[in-house]
Amino acid sequence: MSETTFMGVERDKIDWKPTIDYSKCDYCMECTNFCPHKVFEVNENEEIKLIVRNPNNCVVFCRACSKICGPDALSFPDKNATTQRIKEIRKEEKNG
Amino acid sequence: MVENYAILPCNGLDKCAGVISGEIAKKLCENEKNEIICPVFYRVADAKYNKIAGEHPLLVIDGCPTRCASKLAAEKNLKISQRILITEEAKYHHIELNSGLRILENEKSLIEIILNGLNKAEAKPTKVSKETKASYNFDYETFQNGKFIFRVPKNSEVYYNENDCWAYVVGNLARIGVTDFVQQNLSDILYFTPPEIGAEIDQFGEVGDIESSKALVELISPVSGKVVSINESLVHQPEMINENPYELGWVAEIELTDFESDKELLIGFDKYFELLKKKVEGSNG
Repeated sequence: MSETTFMGVERDKIDWKPTIDYSKCDYCMECTNFCPHKVFEVNENEEIKLIVRNPNNCVVFCRACSKICGPDALSFPDKNATTQRIKEIRKEEKNG
Repeated sequence: MVENYAILPCNGLDKCAGVISGEIAKKLCENEKNEIICPVFYRVADAKYNKIAGEHPLLVIDGCPTRCASKLAAEKNLKISQRILITEEAKYHHIELNSGLRILENEKSLIEIILNGLNKAEAKPTKVSKETKASYNFDYETFQNGKFIFRVPKNSEVYYNENDCWAYVVGNLARIGVTDFVQQNLSDILYFTPPEIGAEIDQFGEVGDIESSKALVELISPVSGKVVSINESLVHQPEMINENPYELGWVAEIELTDFESDKELLIGFDKYFELLKKKVEGSNG
């Protein structure tokens, strides 16, 4: 059992996290300053200076970091598909 | 019409959208009744611009979603009357901006479109928000953590999602909003972007956003349906969400399309109250 759940489903079964488009990201790091859930990690000494370190910390359905991203480099999965998937998992677990 | 305004552009020089914001501000200030606020000088010259901002309604022009001009307005405690986000306008009008800093044909067209929109006489909204006559009477349970008090309605008609939004369901209508957890976290709410009247919203779809100097929160609808009214008072007084996010600070009313199915993924008072306590305790570290 994972530590956290969302709507009764184990968080790590739900695919919801930001994806960084490195061709757009300008490493302004506004997303890391903005997100209180420590989803991102900055590695100043690496070639790729920003990664999604803790995807399961990301609040399911929250896309606020993508709305403050200047170069529009963050994207999220489709909300409807995620909702459907959560419903399916709940059904499977209820029946299983 | 934008006249007698204080105009605060981001004037950012690292993206084309920032350059456009400065250009639009300059054009608007060709009308001598408008006053421009230089964001760079404002950082060091409070006195001059505080007076201008205090005497005029404020138009903020942000280039990109980093919203530097809005953040500056928040830092200076200015009330925003109107706001434009250049990249959003470009997307809306299907205009691609160049990656450099020059104003070329596309940028010129966008500037013209935006100026036309701002300078035309106040357009009458085509869709009118009609607040329904349904009555909403809240009965609260409270939870205190330090100096913060969190109210949670315990009415059986009120449903919650785990994203801290509520829906008070009466018949085929739901009034929705955020909970005290959101408003306490944001502290002073400075800006509210409402959803569009008539918009069809999926469950967990976005129904506007609210912003403080600390953060921006996307409102995640607990229910699916059509937006039939919005709380228009919030556009000018978003701080009403801080006062009471359930009564004065409600966000929108939604005509429900499939509440039986939506309900599957919603929780009632008991579960939300427990979740809220956990979140509050968790956010204390």
